[in-house]
Amino acid sequence: MLILKAVSLGPLHGYGILLRIQQISKDRLEIQQGSLYPALYRLEHQGWISSVWGESENNRKAKYYSLTAAGRKQLQLETKNWNRMADVIGGILDAEEI
Amino acid sequence: MKFLSYLFHRRRIETEMDAELRFHIDSFAADLVRQGASREEALRRARIEFGGIEVHKEECRESLGLRLWDELRGDCRYALRMMRQNPGFTAVAVISLGLGIGANTAIFTFAKEILLTTMAVPHSERLRMLNWEVVDPKAHFPGPVWGSLSPSLPSPFPYRLYQDMRRHNEVMDDLVAFKDVYHLSATVNGQAEPVDGMLVSGNFYQSLAPRMIAGRPIAQEDDSLSASPVVVISDAYWSRRFGRSVDALGKVISLNRVPVTIVGVNAPEFKGAKAGGTYEIFLPLSLQGEVLPVRDGSLLAIDNYWWLMIIGRLKPGVTDQAANAALEVSFRNSFRAAIRYTKDIPRFSIIKGSRGMDRRQLQFTKPIYLLLALAGLVLLIACANLANLLLARSSTRQREMSLRLAMGASRPRVMRQVLTEAMLLAVLGGGAGLLLGYWGRNLIPSLFDDSWHQSGIDPQMDWRVFAFAFAITLITGLLFGVAPAWRCTRADVNSGLKETGRMSTSRPKAFLGKALVVFQVSLSLLLLIGAGLFLRTLLNLRTTTIGFNPEHILLFDINPPRSQYPWPKGVLQQIEEKIAALPSVQSVTMSAAPLLANSMDRNCFRPTGYPSGPAEQDPPWTNSVGPNFFETFAIPILNGRSFTARDNQNVPEVAIVNRRFAKEVFPNENPVGRTITSCEPGDNPAPIEIVGVSEDAKYSDIRAEAPPTIYFSFQQNYKSRATFALKTAASTTSIVAGIRESVRSVDKDLPIQEVRTQTQQIEASLSSERAFAILTTGFGLLALILASIGIYGIMAYTVSRRTNEIGIRMALGARSSQVLSMVLRETFLLAFIGIAVGLAAAAALTRLAASMLYNLKPTDPATFGAAALLLVIIALAAGFTPARRASRVDPMHALRHE
Repeated sequence: MLILKAVSLGPLHGYGILLRIQQISKDRLEIQQGSLYPALYRLEHQGWISSVWGESENNRKAKYYSLTAAGRKQLQLETKNWNRMADVIGGILDAEEI
Repeated sequence: MKFLSYLFHRRRIETEMDAELRFHIDSFAADLVRQGASREEALRRARIEFGGIEVHKEECRESLGLRLWDELRGDCRYALRMMRQNPGFTAVAVISLGLGIGANTAIFTFAKEILLTTMAVPHSERLRMLNWEVVDPKAHFPGPVWGSLSPSLPSPFPYRLYQDMRRHNEVMDDLVAFKDVYHLSATVNGQAEPVDGMLVSGNFYQSLAPRMIAGRPIAQEDDSLSASPVVVISDAYWSRRFGRSVDALGKVISLNRVPVTIVGVNAPEFKGAKAGGTYEIFLPLSLQGEVLPVRDGSLLAIDNYWWLMIIGRLKPGVTDQAANAALEVSFRNSFRAAIRYTKDIPRFSIIKGSRGMDRRQLQFTKPIYLLLALAGLVLLIACANLANLLLARSSTRQREMSLRLAMGASRPRVMRQVLTEAMLLAVLGGGAGLLLGYWGRNLIPSLFDDSWHQSGIDPQMDWRVFAFAFAITLITGLLFGVAPAWRCTRADVNSGLKETGRMSTSRPKAFLGKALVVFQVSLSLLLLIGAGLFLRTLLNLRTTTIGFNPEHILLFDINPPRSQYPWPKGVLQQIEEKIAALPSVQSVTMSAAPLLANSMDRNCFRPTGYPSGPAEQDPPWTNSVGPNFFETFAIPILNGRSFTARDNQNVPEVAIVNRRFAKEVFPNENPVGRTITSCEPGDNPAPIEIVGVSEDAKYSDIRAEAPPTIYFSFQQNYKSRATFALKTAASTTSIVAGIRESVRSVDKDLPIQEVRTQTQQIEASLSSERAFAILTTGFGLLALILASIGIYGIMAYTVSRRTNEIGIRMALGARSSQVLSMVLRETFLLAFIGIAVGLAAAAALTRLAASMLYNLKPTDPATFGAAALLLVIIALAAGFTPARRASRVDPMHALRHE
């Protein structure tokens, strides 16, 4: 979901996604760099993101990922689910504090 | 889909993956350099933070679903290497599986042709045939019947009824009529040849819509007495007679002396509206009167002559019940109007017609199921055999498996590896089987062929056969692969890796393997008993008393077309004289029905003066025979005289009866001099004098007792066709030319048909018994070989595992003969249990084949005993080599080996 969110803001290459996630999470989220790629491949296999080879900032060839329509739908769905879940759990935790 | 594109662009995916990961590390390193680290330090840290590159790559591949594929390829490569290492094992496995799957494929191809292949017209699944059954079989039936009234085949209809029902039909697309006709003599470019054909109504082609490959079909306008006569020919005839030349279209050929024009050619897959025939000429119904006249002229004008088969396609959405009900009303109305006979209107029904009229299904369904069952048994035995061999091998590979498990392979992973090996064997065997099945696809139909002409069954392989072969390959692979795979995963890593793991005696003593051998032995016994029963049936049939001498008798048919010979007596007599004059012919005669050829005639006859009324006994069997009939076939005349040339139409009719008729009709009397009279309605009731009594001889079916028979003189009671029989010491080939010449000198357009010897004729009626005897014997032998391999394998395996134990026994003083008998005793026990199970199964199952046996109980003790004995001998022979090896174990060697 994090990857989908990162890619939803515009096409990014793998390293860029990593940076973006770190940036969004303000470095609070530590992910092992290598395990990003299997996740990317899986998402692409499922058809939620698509990739295209392009030029990077430092003029090297890099693979850019962007969100597909199905990916966008999936992101919305997961966001909604997550929010609902967070609400429920938050509610439970709040209730306990009373 | 995506997965396949991954497979095909494998190299590109790998390089891209490399490039992408390298880009990541480089970018990361560049960022670190920018933060102040040295270049080397930055690269090192980048690599560390990234983690194991190869591990992540493998995970990426897994994400794409490629890992499974890689492992599968690895497994396959390993399995192939294992196979190369054990070429003997691989050969046994592939050959036994190939034979098993090949037999199944060949039989399935045959079965598919008979049971599944439908008429090659669109929507054949909606085809229905019209049928009726008489309400009271004893009652007089209104009108002559041309065709079969067998209850499981559709019955024929009069033309008038067909037209009435067609006019009132609202439930079928249309009603189409046809009639199969045989032995038309077709003359092309001066050469006469007998062909089979099909009379079809004018709407046949338009309604059924079979594919044509040249010219035009028969149209409605062609089916009229005033139209110029046209025919459509089959693809086979087009190839054979005209070399597929376009010139054939428009060509005029003569059919029973009637000139007809060829207008079209059927597609090769369309064989006519009756399964199993080779119909080569299709002609409109209107030509029947000219080409095949019956005594009364054209059948189209006879309202109560039952001869046409009716077929049609249900309209879409109309159910069988609705169609049946609507057509039944129409049938009853038409019957009342046309037949003018209101008593006992036959019961009407429609039956499936997707194969048209189908006699073959009736004939072959039971044999096919039996054959499939037998072939399935053989395959099961082969599976058991392979499972056994693999099991034995899996125990020798225990160390390898333990090593794999110890190194971290998961149990499912090891299981998959073993299953892959089994599957690969199965696929190789399946491929071999498919090849064998392809070569052997004509073998099974040819077993059912008459030796002088072919049945016209031409099984083709199609996707259904491939699907079947593929499915049984998978099933066999699973069947024989699962047990060893399961065994492997139970391996105990610790004991498996220890050198001494070999000698632990506490493990189950190959119980599974022994159970499989018992299973194999019992199945083999089942097949052997089947083989024995069918062989004895064949032997019984061949040695049964038939009442005449079939040796050195050559038969051929002459069928003078009625369009040319309304009274064929003259021409038949001329031919008889010409042939009698041939040098090597000892005697010649003719008969209306050939003997033991499933052809017969029965007519009602009673002693003259017997009060008329319903017959209280079945009508006797009748045959018209020429003067030398009894001499040629060596049937003794017990009383009175035989027919002579003087028994012709100028003197009163005479008859000869056989002993059984004499005994049943004239008990305790001398029938010679008595007279009999026809009780068929409409026949001449003149008394016929009995001039002789002959010994009983079988008539149409070799399995049946000789029926009560009346013979008439051919010259007084001639039929439109005759089977000539000549006694000759000369070989068939040398005399046929002479016969052909004689017949041609009488009429050059008259073909001689169905040349065969009387023994061939009898053999033809035994074709299914022969086929079963051959196939079950073949399967039985195959099973025996497989079972002996199985017994040998399991005994060799147990002996090798017990080498230590045997060594100790011998060191303690056991003699080698004691060891020998110990191992043989074990073999015998296995065989004994298997035989006991097999005998019980056979006793239960052979009853199902009882109707196919002759003069033999399905539990024939001699056959059962012989089969069991044979198996015991084979088992002991197979167990002997391992037993001897055990008896020669050198105790020092065996113990030191530890």
